[in-house]
Amino acid sequence: MAQANAVLAIQGVTKRFPGIVANGDVSFDVLEGEIHAIVGENGAGKSTLVKIVTGLYQPDEGRILFRGRPALFRNPRQAILAGIGIVHQHFMLVSNFTVTENVILGAEPPRRGLIDPKDAATKVRDLSAQYGVKLDPDRRIEDLSVGEQQRVEILKVLYRGAGLIILDEPTAVLVPQETEELFEHLRTLKRQGKTIVFISHKLDEVLRISDRITVLRRGRVVGTVKAADVTRPKLAEMMVGRPVLFDLKRNEAPPGEDRLVVEGLKASTGRRSILADLSFRVRAGEIYGIAGVEGNGQTELAEAIMGLRRVGGGRIHLAGEDITNHPAALVRKRGAAYIPEDRHQRGLVLPMTVWENAVLGAHRLPEFRRGFRLQFPGIYRFVEEGVVKFDVRLTSIQAKAETLSGGNQQKLILVREFRGDPKFIVASQPTRGLDIGATEFVRQQLLNARDQGAAVLLISADLEEIIAVADRIGVIYNGHIQAEFSQDEAEPKTLGLYMTGAKQGSEGGRRAS
Amino acid sequence: MLSPELLASAIRMSVPIIITAVGAIYSERSGIVNIGLEGMMIVGAFAGAAGGVFLGPFGGILVGMLAGAFMALIHAYASIQFKVDQIVSGTAINILAYGVVRFSAVSIFRAATTTPHVDHLPAITVPLLAGIPWLKPVLTHVSPLVFVAFLLVPLTAWIMNRTVFGLRLRSVGEYPLAAETLGVNVYLMKYAGVIISGALAGLSGAYLSVEHTGMYVEGMTQGLGFIALAAMIFGNWKPGGAMLAGLLFGFAQALSFRAVSEAIPYQFIKMIPYLLTIVVLAGWSRRSRPPAAVGVPYERGEST
Amino acid sequence: MNAQLPRSKAAKRLALLEKFSPVLAVLVAMAVASIALIIIGKNPLVVYGTMFYFAFGRMDSIANILYKATPLIFAGIACAVGFRVGLFNIGVEGQYLIGVLCAASVGFAVKGLPVYIHLPLAILAGAAGGALWALVPIWLKLKRGVHEVITTIMLNHTAFLFVQYLVAGPLMDKTGGMGPGGVDLRVRTPALLPTARMPDLHGALGKIGIDFPAGSVNWFLILALLAAVGLWYLLWKTPFGLELRAVGHNPKAAETAGIRSNTVIFRTFLLSGAVAGLAGLSDLLGYFGYLDIDFPRNFGFTGIAVALVGRNSAVGIVLASVLFGFLSRGGMGIQIIERVPMETYYILQGLIILCIVMASEVIRRYARAQQKKEEASPNA
Repeated sequence: MAQANAVLAIQGVTKRFPGIVANGDVSFDVLEGEIHAIVGENGAGKSTLVKIVTGLYQPDEGRILFRGRPALFRNPRQAILAGIGIVHQHFMLVSNFTVTENVILGAEPPRRGLIDPKDAATKVRDLSAQYGVKLDPDRRIEDLSVGEQQRVEILKVLYRGAGLIILDEPTAVLVPQETEELFEHLRTLKRQGKTIVFISHKLDEVLRISDRITVLRRGRVVGTVKAADVTRPKLAEMMVGRPVLFDLKRNEAPPGEDRLVVEGLKASTGRRSILADLSFRVRAGEIYGIAGVEGNGQTELAEAIMGLRRVGGGRIHLAGEDITNHPAALVRKRGAAYIPEDRHQRGLVLPMTVWENAVLGAHRLPEFRRGFRLQFPGIYRFVEEGVVKFDVRLTSIQAKAETLSGGNQQKLILVREFRGDPKFIVASQPTRGLDIGATEFVRQQLLNARDQGAAVLLISADLEEIIAVADRIGVIYNGHIQAEFSQDEAEPKTLGLYMTGAKQGSEGGRRAS
Repeated sequence: MLSPELLASAIRMSVPIIITAVGAIYSERSGIVNIGLEGMMIVGAFAGAAGGVFLGPFGGILVGMLAGAFMALIHAYASIQFKVDQIVSGTAINILAYGVVRFSAVSIFRAATTTPHVDHLPAITVPLLAGIPWLKPVLTHVSPLVFVAFLLVPLTAWIMNRTVFGLRLRSVGEYPLAAETLGVNVYLMKYAGVIISGALAGLSGAYLSVEHTGMYVEGMTQGLGFIALAAMIFGNWKPGGAMLAGLLFGFAQALSFRAVSEAIPYQFIKMIPYLLTIVVLAGWSRRSRPPAAVGVPYERGEST
Repeated sequence: MNAQLPRSKAAKRLALLEKFSPVLAVLVAMAVASIALIIIGKNPLVVYGTMFYFAFGRMDSIANILYKATPLIFAGIACAVGFRVGLFNIGVEGQYLIGVLCAASVGFAVKGLPVYIHLPLAILAGAAGGALWALVPIWLKLKRGVHEVITTIMLNHTAFLFVQYLVAGPLMDKTGGMGPGGVDLRVRTPALLPTARMPDLHGALGKIGIDFPAGSVNWFLILALLAAVGLWYLLWKTPFGLELRAVGHNPKAAETAGIRSNTVIFRTFLLSGAVAGLAGLSDLLGYFGYLDIDFPRNFGFTGIAVALVGRNSAVGIVLASVLFGFLSRGGMGIQIIERVPMETYYILQGLIILCIVMASEVIRRYARAQQKKEEASPNA
């Protein structure tokens, strides 16, 4: 069934995790000597597929053929030995080693246990010349630019004789010039007979560099097309699909005054700027949705607003007061609430009980405390009521938070954060990993808060969610709000273009009313 | 006061610190914190003396190293296989060492805190150079282990930078997952690092009992195991740096033994090495660069 | 859809296993220690039997066990409080010495106070001394990232030397008898005033029918038990305790909820030092009445063992302290009767710690495997 010149044939691969189908009956071929792109949104199943191909996971069903032979690797080493190399999105490089040391680690030139640095460096230099990948073998990784570090990862796979090279979201961390250089390298490699698989969500780049493209959505293959035969809008539509409208109830009252004003926010780690002149405002009684693929600054924005991360420039105003770089407790005092995107790491203290998590942060308030001791009747009453109001299913409020299912854990976070009718709520990926019932519940809660006059900032990688819930939508890309839309104007195709950088906003990019 | 005798004494005092600190580098570079070095030194000191009584000085030194390595094996097993908190495990080793040594001392020698006198290794006098007046005390009748200590430094640097073993060891302490994806046996490297550190700590202890004092006395290690850790940190996890730091602390120790002053009570002088350690760490910690993954228990295949 | 099942049988069994793991660990440790006993030609069963009989079969032994347990309870609480917030306080050794020093100074230097002021003042001085000695390490940790293990150990040695200096120098009791050659026989501080001494428990216990020998147990035992209650109360009934535990489990989530982790850590470590400062007071204010150069030591390491065996809980710490008191007393017994070195005690201590932490890891992995099994069952 695989085409004759298929280097990699994926046939009916299915992989399930508790509660979700990560890959469902995935089938396509990668042809010899081509650059084949795999595109899809977050959660589409791209990284799971890659982990299966490179031996980190085993599929539940289906098979994979590499050069015509069965290739279900049981660990990464086997994949490497077979000739499949992967350039990870998060580099597997030891920062204070040199280029040479990173390249040869684990496959050192055989010299009876000794390493001759000059000899090794020469080998690396020859390799980089052969493939046109310019690198100085003696420099340390920590001194290299991100683009150069990526070249080291490419050298690593070439050094081990890879014939098929997989690149996982390679341009996610690159600036435009570095992307150009990367593409040059890829074209050189292609000329030298290598086959390349390129995983990305950035459509303009994918169209520029690849020969054929396979689109994944929700774990399934939507189609495999030739790059020449397809346009950006068509690809965006394949990736994102049509929005599913939930039956959500909302008020049609007009929004009030500005509750949250963010102006010119700047933040960076090292060379990379994470927030770049980011500005927007959220009014009382409205939900402002930030649409975007993860990694464009959303997390950092939420943390900056909530006082968990310092910003290098710009201002944040909450209900008229400047809260830029204020500590978290103070921001909360001013009426802000936060549903963090990672409920296990930042949202809950899992080993502690439901009630302890529900009052965490508020435990010093007069209704929960009398002098030095906790006032349990008040606490338990609040938690019991909250648990009913937010439909948290549990055996007892004395149960540990870790025993709750994902949906109930998220609702528990709602119990805590919605206490005291917050004036402003940041909800970051609030329905990720939840089933339909919990998802609908959480979204309705956000709408209810909005109807009662709160300002809600909804950050989500799920476009359907944003379109269904938000009054106004801002698209974030590379740490900047590229464009804004009202709920009526918003449609997936257009949003998709801005989300993936196909279209970029001009200064500020304000369009919405 | 700054006499050749003081210099000689400083070098002698720095030897146990240097050996242990260099040994600690092997462990920490592989990603395992070894707080139990003090206990391994204690065991090495006793085993060295006990071995020396029955087998002569060479045998004693060897037994000391083996004893240290054995304690290290326990620490390695608990930390690597069971992912036990490395500080807890190291502390348990220290307690265990104290008890095992006392127990053995009573059982073998009928005395809980000392052993009989032990002969030391044949002393070396460096020809020619020992003739120079101010080098005389430093190079005359010197224990061979002094030379071993100072040779360990370049040897370790060479192993770390010029051998496959060294490269892989270091990679495991920096980014074990990356190393694993490239086929390095992470667990094996960690075991190797810890056991080597134990053997060297044992050697250091044996030096104290066999070469320096001529017998084992309880408490003779005086916290040197921890000072060695500080020396390693001060030396930025490199053998050369550890040596210099060791010399500094050795000098402080020598001072504390020799400086007799009417004005300052001797107890305060004895405090110098400990206070110095704190001051050094306080001033240095901002600039220190430990191995990136040190202290973090590694779960094989625990990727994304 | 999200109905929560009642705790499965497996989960209940697991919780039970976790509670009893210290007991199992102790048994394993005793088994391993048997090897050492066999090597020196003793029958482990006989040795352990003698130990039990000696320790529990006589009133003076039981009293002694309780007396020995008292400082361990304080030391254990100090370590446990540290563990609960994610810190390792090995400085208990030094903190308790400085605490004893301060308490002793108040005890003999401050004159003219009635007992119900003098005694509490001395106790307070002890706590303050311990807290003071904990200040430098925690400050360095929070401000400069210096690991508290090394700084506290350095300060332990420093404290020992400092106390030595004072006791043999400025604070030495000059009124003592002189031996031959004019050597001071008593290298210690002057005797503490009676108003600073902690009364014996002998009388009160006698009234309820417990017949301990006089001078064997003092009211610090009660104080220690109260401290354990205090620990329980602090951890589970106060806002600070909630913060402490949250920061210890997940500092990031605590920060997100608005708790200032660094402040919590700082206060907790000082508290730990203060409690450590009380550890030596039972010996000082109860038994000896002066601070001499051979004051009992090694509470620090035993405190860690107590905290670990007691799983950082009040009840566990008290039980573990009694356990170690039993091992110590029993050790003395087997030394006298069976001629087994009492250093076995320390071997057992070290082994018990190792076994405990290894056991809890094993259980944790077993728990995770069980959880994975339950998740993978028909639900997807």
